[in-house]
Amino acid sequence: MADPKLGVYICSDCGIGGALDIEALENIAKNQYRVENVQSVPFLCSQEGTQMIKDEINNQGVNKIVIAACSPRVHYDEFDFDPSKYVTERVNLREHVVWSQMGGAEEAPEAAAEAPAAAAAAAAPVEAEPAAPAVNEFTQEMAEDHLRMGIVRAQKSEPPEPAIMDVEKTVLVIGGGATGLNTALESAKAGYKVILTEKEAELGGWARKMYKILPDKAPFEDVKAPNIDEKIAAVQAHENITVLTGANIDRIEGMPGQYDATISQNGSANTHRIGSVVLAIGWKPYDAKKLDNLGYGEFKNVVTNVEMESMAVAGSGSIARPSDGKQAKRVAFLQCAGQRDPEHLPYCSSVCCMTSLKQALYVTESDADANAFIIYKDMRTPGLYENFYKAAQNNPGVMLTKGEVTSITEDGTGNIVLEIDNTILGEKVRVEADMLVLATGMVTNMLPEGVEKVTDMTPEYIGQWKETETQDGIIKEVIADPVALNLAYRQGPELPYLKYGFPDSHFVCFPYETRRTGIYTAGAVRAPMTALQSANDGVGAALKAIQSVELAAQGKAVHPRSGDESFPEINFTNCTQCRRCTVECPFGVLDEEENGTPKTNTSRCRRCGTCMGACPQRIISFKNYSVGMIADQMKAIKVPEEDSKPRIIALICENDAYPALDIAGLNRIKTNPFYRFITMRCLGGTNLVWIADALSAGIEGFLLIGCRFDDDYQCHFIKGSKAANERLGKVQETLSRLMLESERVQQVQLAMNEWDQLPKIMNDFADQLKEFGPNPFKGF
Amino acid sequence: MADETVEKTEDTAGAGEEITETAASEAEAVPVASEAEAAPAVREAVAITPDVGFVKELISSGGADLKKCYQCATCSVACNLTPDASPFPRKEMMWAQWGLKDKLMGNPDIWLCHQCNDCTAQCPRGAKPGTVMNAVAKMTISRFSKPGFLTKGVGNPSALILMMALPIAILAVAIGIFGSYSPTRGEMVDGKLQHAGDIVYGQFLGHWPIVGVFTSFFVLSIIVFALGIRSYWGALKAHAADEGQPIAGSGFGKLGPVIGEIFTHKRFGKCDETEDRKTSHMFIFYAFGLLFLATIVSTLLTDGPLLWGGEGVLSPYPTISVVKLFAYPGAAAGLIGIGLITINRFKHQEKLGGLGSYFDWLLISVIIVLMVTGIGSVAFRLANIGALAFPTYFVHLSAVLFLFIYAPFSKMAHMVYRTVALTFARVSGRDLGVD
Repeated sequence: MADPKLGVYICSDCGIGGALDIEALENIAKNQYRVENVQSVPFLCSQEGTQMIKDEINNQGVNKIVIAACSPRVHYDEFDFDPSKYVTERVNLREHVVWSQMGGAEEAPEAAAEAPAAAAAAAAPVEAEPAAPAVNEFTQEMAEDHLRMGIVRAQKSEPPEPAIMDVEKTVLVIGGGATGLNTALESAKAGYKVILTEKEAELGGWARKMYKILPDKAPFEDVKAPNIDEKIAAVQAHENITVLTGANIDRIEGMPGQYDATISQNGSANTHRIGSVVLAIGWKPYDAKKLDNLGYGEFKNVVTNVEMESMAVAGSGSIARPSDGKQAKRVAFLQCAGQRDPEHLPYCSSVCCMTSLKQALYVTESDADANAFIIYKDMRTPGLYENFYKAAQNNPGVMLTKGEVTSITEDGTGNIVLEIDNTILGEKVRVEADMLVLATGMVTNMLPEGVEKVTDMTPEYIGQWKETETQDGIIKEVIADPVALNLAYRQGPELPYLKYGFPDSHFVCFPYETRRTGIYTAGAVRAPMTALQSANDGVGAALKAIQSVELAAQGKAVHPRSGDESFPEINFTNCTQCRRCTVECPFGVLDEEENGTPKTNTSRCRRCGTCMGACPQRIISFKNYSVGMIADQMKAIKVPEEDSKPRIIALICENDAYPALDIAGLNRIKTNPFYRFITMRCLGGTNLVWIADALSAGIEGFLLIGCRFDDDYQCHFIKGSKAANERLGKVQETLSRLMLESERVQQVQLAMNEWDQLPKIMNDFADQLKEFGPNPFKGF
Repeated sequence: MADETVEKTEDTAGAGEEITETAASEAEAVPVASEAEAAPAVREAVAITPDVGFVKELISSGGADLKKCYQCATCSVACNLTPDASPFPRKEMMWAQWGLKDKLMGNPDIWLCHQCNDCTAQCPRGAKPGTVMNAVAKMTISRFSKPGFLTKGVGNPSALILMMALPIAILAVAIGIFGSYSPTRGEMVDGKLQHAGDIVYGQFLGHWPIVGVFTSFFVLSIIVFALGIRSYWGALKAHAADEGQPIAGSGFGKLGPVIGEIFTHKRFGKCDETEDRKTSHMFIFYAFGLLFLATIVSTLLTDGPLLWGGEGVLSPYPTISVVKLFAYPGAAAGLIGIGLITINRFKHQEKLGGLGSYFDWLLISVIIVLMVTGIGSVAFRLANIGALAFPTYFVHLSAVLFLFIYAPFSKMAHMVYRTVALTFARVSGRDLGVD
């Protein structure tokens, strides 16, 4: 980069000019930071405003642009300057300062109410925003500090130089069922080479083993003959797709765009260079042998829904019951068999209700007098499958009742007698059937054989606990059992799971994503779903896989910091091989060299900065985001000596807390004026060194505002806010060394929609700090 | 705690050993365990036999949408007529789906329903509970009015010609034997000129043959009804006993209040969506009452004097006579009533998703024919248009006979079965009447 030259541009509209002394702000930039190019403009986002900035860039060599105006979440197109050449820093004076300080005085904290607000009463009234008649001292100080921090941040930032690499764009699709076939086909149609592996000898998976399949087209009413063969033929005919059947993945090493996958087939192994992976290995039925309480294994005529399907295939729809081969004309179906049951599968497989309805139709179609009784906890036919439910229910032979089966017996002739309580028939009933079908659930194929219960598994990985001695103490972690991917990753051979073995990321925010960048899951391996949903899932995963290689080729991050060209750089000379970074990285980016130093795999990185926060040596930095930069921002905060003007730092996550503050500002909700906000990519980047530094500089307290973690986590980087919280546990030591109360540093979990709670959260913390009394380091 | 123990004991009926042990150990620990024994008997599971054939029959009898019900119970909440405890028609919808005919027919609730169709109008799934109740009612008639195939015939449009042929043939034969296909006008009888030149229907078919034919079928219907009532009452009692609420005694004591309720049409008055049905049904109800009285009076005038050797008055009666006092208002009320019923059906068509079943419309049509031809017969007679009067009269007689023959098998039977069910509901305490 050429000689750094700052330009500071202050917008004075949207109420900013009325609420703040703009000239004073200009003077801070000019006098304190010696910035030559300082301009204040009404409507900085206007044509004239942006043109003025461009002119200064082009004619005066400004290359670090500080925009002190509105939130970076708005007007991003107007203030979009080539990030590879220029640093752009947005100081959010509007939402975070002016608008959130406009609320009624009665809501202001005590200290604010006492303040000589009248001193600024002389300021000129503003026509545009009558709600802000005068410059408030506290608001002005807040704006000044934020401007200082913005200028410092810009000073310390460099435009990132993307780590561009040669990439192979072939997509490896593992699993040749309904999901994998569609993933392969859609990737191939998009112009990408695909290697499709299937461990069985033939493609098709479960979809090929069905007598009939669920409706897959509007109006979603009728079952139809299996059509997977068309998909198989299309895959086999496509020139971009290489199909490897009877194939297993022995090893995958590398990173997105540069993976080497070793695939063994017929006893010989070959290594293929690939770009990204879609894991579509599907599901297996829950082991019905564990359901002896439902008569399975004890009575011949109690079968699972999977067995029922093969019986239907064998009899072309007519069901010969196992005990005597008699045609089953009265078939009972028990839903949720071993499902939504803490002893078995605690979750709903979401498909079995449709499957039972489908199989009930086999029964009724096989004979005019035949009927099927479905006993359910709840009928769950999501989405348009409601139409299928309606259509099946309309069949006179399909009889449904909610109920709990209290007893299952056999009458001596092979007939199964069910006693059902809490029915909607109005009483406890006994009904006789020729056969009972248990609607057993789906288990992800990521679950290795031999795991007794999905609820019994170790957290995150399915494997064994391992303790490692390091300079820094003992690190306890789970070493995963190999199942499908056999990744050569420091964090283990398989994907971490969220619950019950499903290797999913956040199912709402990031479908298909896993915690291994470049490796995506689709279909029933990640969540129970039908063949149609799986096929659609495959399309989504294909797009993710393509995105991943394309962005890797440009040295850019994938979701959620899509397009970010920065990446963590490690100053190895000071590395102590403590392994904190390799352990804490939520995405398994860092491997370890023999000696324990981290080995970066840039295209795996999501740029959250958790490693930066984890590093006790503070040697991990981004070009535009570093421990030193944030420490300097903190130092830029002016700490007044008066006790009535405490200073509190809030580290705010850019994903939820930042927009929450924006929304609070938009709603003109008054927040505490003594806070100074520092934006974090993720709270996972929080480095403990800041806390000691800032507290010893007289800052009263630290509030970390981040996303929810643990079970219902909302962290965009999965573990970042949790990692920050764990680190805070260790901060006590630091604080007691400084003879400070440990509660001076706290973390709150805040979702974006909880913005209305911000004033209370902030005031409560401020009140607590007030009780501790002023920071004794103040003024030193 | 005691309650919990009771519950667990119940649940373990036939369940795994482990739970039994838990219950037992709890019973030991809890001194009030003896209460568990004293508690009401453990509910026994009731054996049910789903009958897909019955479901199909119900569907073809007008309950076409019964399978759509998903048991939200909006119907029972909407209904103003159901008792609060185990309300209808939700449970009937479920029984209908499972083909549990004994439960459906052994339950007086089918007739407590008056087809207001508040439920049908509010059903979110279009399952038309009111229509289903009506179809079950039809199946009930078919089950208890023997021989049952006649109800099936009455309910089957393709059997209409056959069903119509019976009364027509009977009348044709009777006219052939006792009357005349080419009746002359009024004539000299014993030297007296009887309505000379006028149309006298008696010459078409005389008084005695008419009395003979109609009385025999009337009596036959009474017998069929009597047998039906007996077996229906038995079925109601048996079902109540099965449900653990046996009843004692006959229902005669309760018949009075039931009839009072019928005369005031109180239950119809509770309908929201189709409140106009009260008026229309009341018209037709009292029309039948008046016409029945007219028939009684005319029989008395004709045959009464014979008892003391006097001379009966044969029809036609003068326009101002005691018979016409009942007959004219009866005919008018009948015409208005059946007209309103027809109009209402069309008016509510959209709201209720249809016009109603064939079974209903057959009765409506017969009554329309009956009323129109009855009035027509009088009008054409007075106008002295023989070519129209006699055929009209013949159709009228056929319609009346149709009604008589098929009364126990057609929708007409509702008057008997509903009365029985309402009486039973009072006896059993299921429904003690409406306010």
